[in-house]
Amino acid sequence: MNILRRSFIRKMGVGASAALAPTVIMAAGLNMAKAEANTTDDPALRAALLEEEKALRRFHQAFEEAMDKGLHEEVISMFAADTEDAEVVFNGGVFTRRSHGVSRLFRERFPAGKTGRRMEPAPGFELTPDQQRDSVEVSPDLRSAKAVFPYSIQVGMPFETETSLAAMARLHGEGVRTWWEGGVYRVHYRKDVAGQWKIRRLEYDTLSRADYRSGKSYAQPISVSRFVTRFPADPQGPDDLV
Amino acid sequence: MRIPMHRFKYTKLTKEQIGTKLKAAEGGPRSASPYSSVLNGKTLKIVTQDGPTLEYKFGANRRLTLTEGGKQVSAGYGELTLNQMLFFSHLIPNEQKGYNVFIDQKTNLATVFEVWTCSGIKQNAGRPTEFTLDDREVQRQIYFGYVDSGQKAPEKLHHYTNRMTGKGIHWTQDTGIETLELYASVTNTNFVELTRHVDDLSYVSTSDYVLVDDRTIIYNRTECEFSGIHTCFAADLYGVKQVGVRFGFNDNDELEYYMFKGDGKVVGQLAYLENFDDHGLKPMFAPAAAPAGAPAAAPLQKGARTTYRPVRTFTHMTDEEVHQAALKMTSAFGAGAAQQAPPQAVATGNNLPFSDILVGKEFTLHFDNGGPVRDYRIKEMFKLQYRDHSDNVWHDADYRAYEGDDNLAWFGHMIADSKPRASVQVAVDFTNGLTTSIESHMGTPYYGNETTYRAIFGVAEIAGASSLEAPLYVRHQLTDELVGHAFSWSYSDQTTSMHIYSSPHSMSWVIFTGAQALGAEWCSPCIYVKLRPGVYIFCQNEEACNGAQMIELLNTRASHDCGFTYNGGARGVSLGVTGAIGRHIGKFDIVDLYGPKRRNA
Repeated sequence: MNILRRSFIRKMGVGASAALAPTVIMAAGLNMAKAEANTTDDPALRAALLEEEKALRRFHQAFEEAMDKGLHEEVISMFAADTEDAEVVFNGGVFTRRSHGVSRLFRERFPAGKTGRRMEPAPGFELTPDQQRDSVEVSPDLRSAKAVFPYSIQVGMPFETETSLAAMARLHGEGVRTWWEGGVYRVHYRKDVAGQWKIRRLEYDTLSRADYRSGKSYAQPISVSRFVTRFPADPQGPDDLV
Repeated sequence: MRIPMHRFKYTKLTKEQIGTKLKAAEGGPRSASPYSSVLNGKTLKIVTQDGPTLEYKFGANRRLTLTEGGKQVSAGYGELTLNQMLFFSHLIPNEQKGYNVFIDQKTNLATVFEVWTCSGIKQNAGRPTEFTLDDREVQRQIYFGYVDSGQKAPEKLHHYTNRMTGKGIHWTQDTGIETLELYASVTNTNFVELTRHVDDLSYVSTSDYVLVDDRTIIYNRTECEFSGIHTCFAADLYGVKQVGVRFGFNDNDELEYYMFKGDGKVVGQLAYLENFDDHGLKPMFAPAAAPAGAPAAAPLQKGARTTYRPVRTFTHMTDEEVHQAALKMTSAFGAGAAQQAPPQAVATGNNLPFSDILVGKEFTLHFDNGGPVRDYRIKEMFKLQYRDHSDNVWHDADYRAYEGDDNLAWFGHMIADSKPRASVQVAVDFTNGLTTSIESHMGTPYYGNETTYRAIFGVAEIAGASSLEAPLYVRHQLTDELVGHAFSWSYSDQTTSMHIYSSPHSMSWVIFTGAQALGAEWCSPCIYVKLRPGVYIFCQNEEACNGAQMIELLNTRASHDCGFTYNGGARGVSLGVTGAIGRHIGKFDIVDLYGPKRRNA
């Protein structure tokens, strides 16, 4: 088998996201073993790919933890430099370049909407095992990769009003309408000149949304308007629309 | 005080003026009750967590010497006791600050309030709305600590608490001053000056609640956005007694620095809705300078507290400016209204459905005492025609109607071509032949972009309808039946506030946090009209706040309200809808405290 004829080496399931059920992890792990066996006969490359894959899983875990703790500067630093045209696709908007759109999204829009922290799936809206399956594909040159990881997060939007209720709620960090979203991150990684993995493209591929907050006993599906206004007309808006 | 606090123009006292006034009080506070003398001749070293270490020497002549950070000062002080609690208060000469110190003599634990004026604290720092707090506003920082007796430092100190939440106490001080204090929030107090003022209006001040033990709390409130005066006391909830101090400048700019004792009566208890394992240990302080629109993230600065300061960002408009805006956009129930309306008018998920109760009806409303006479004819759900007998011209108008109770219509519409822009919100009782109209218009004597309302009463007549016989004497009327009650109102699943109907002429509203603790609070004048048993109109204008009006029909049997919002400003004038699901949170027995009194009798 000529490894160079393969654009990517695929491996699935190891170190799946916390959102995954244990049974799913086991099932995916079995799939991974088969996939790996079919990928390459070069033990050295195989080991290198495994190491990079582990590194990417750790990197993604660090990304999720930083999001969960609201460490948005840390999140921004995980993206590729402006010369690499990093971008985030979120809710029909594209936020481009680390120091511009990406920073605007994670420094302004997400904190204002209390968006990004992990939360349990809304009851009745759990992703299917197929949807929860993660995958990491590292390129043979070990310089780029693609991955899919499931997510289950809180998303929100400040009340767009200057009424007393909203203004007062903001005094204690409220005044935000929040909901639950589940889906998969579709991520493209690239190594920087120092050999560190960076996010080149992050897409929030939302599969399900529900009007749910932790502690609630039930949830209902909701729809959320996609971005329709670009930056700077919307000061926290995307640079482009999908 | 005849001019209500929210309309009173408090003097912007300068640092020099404040310094001069404080100079006269360096000898210590006054007290109507005799001071205690526990501290005579004693020395105390008070160590605080994350705060100062205060080393005191008390003389026999009500003078103390304080050593703090190597600096020694001498000042007069006052001292009172309440059970095991020892409380003393003093100023630091020439520093525009002082300390109120509470010591539990059983445990040697201490709570220290550092108080100061002329803070220079900036709010909304770095934003276009930045402003500096008034120098006269007393600031406070609370430190928890202990009296150092050379023993091992205690592990547990006094701490913040939610144990006072929902309680109401009517206090009578040794000065003769009576206040009603409703502790409905963990960060605020809704209070009524029963003797200082003549209008029975309730106000809101920022507060802290500290638990000493199961019967003893330490409390303070600062009348931010008003005089800035500070009241601080320890209270024994078994005997309902207090010892405390009042420090600051009153509406005559006079320094009030006196200690007091007081007796209280618990007037009720509202439920508080936090989880049962939430004891309010963490204070709810607003961040000082979080980025616009961002949740709490900035580090707290000294003196941080949750204080709503609405009028600071409320733009003044003249009547004519508002009318010019209204000519460009006057909206009833439309998209324009939704854009400007409060969230409860947008998130209408919990509102009552609109009703067709008026469709097919023609009727005349006669209002008393020379009030308007209006004919209505309504053929469809959202469009009506009305004719005021003063001009005898039929006008078309958009309207929304609810059936607030059986055969009781509650509808609203704009008044065509009005200047200032006006709307009416009308209850028509087709069973009893009665009507109430809340007549609203833009403008008050203070702001063109505030609203004004009044209730007028009358009868409804349907031509040719023998079943509707309007009464000659019976009318809807203003009522105090709701006074003391508190309801949470959930306009949507994520927008809830609690209304406290705290006096016959005013109310307060409190915002829930995500954990359902009650936090930010503010207040406004209001009126209540009784339509039927358990069915009322509640109308408030957020005066000196945002000028917006809420006009609701409350059906307490169904625990639901429905109604309208009316507001105007630079973007025009809007009549919107609102409604919520209610929960009865409790009741204070306070109605007997209000009304004309035999003052000085």
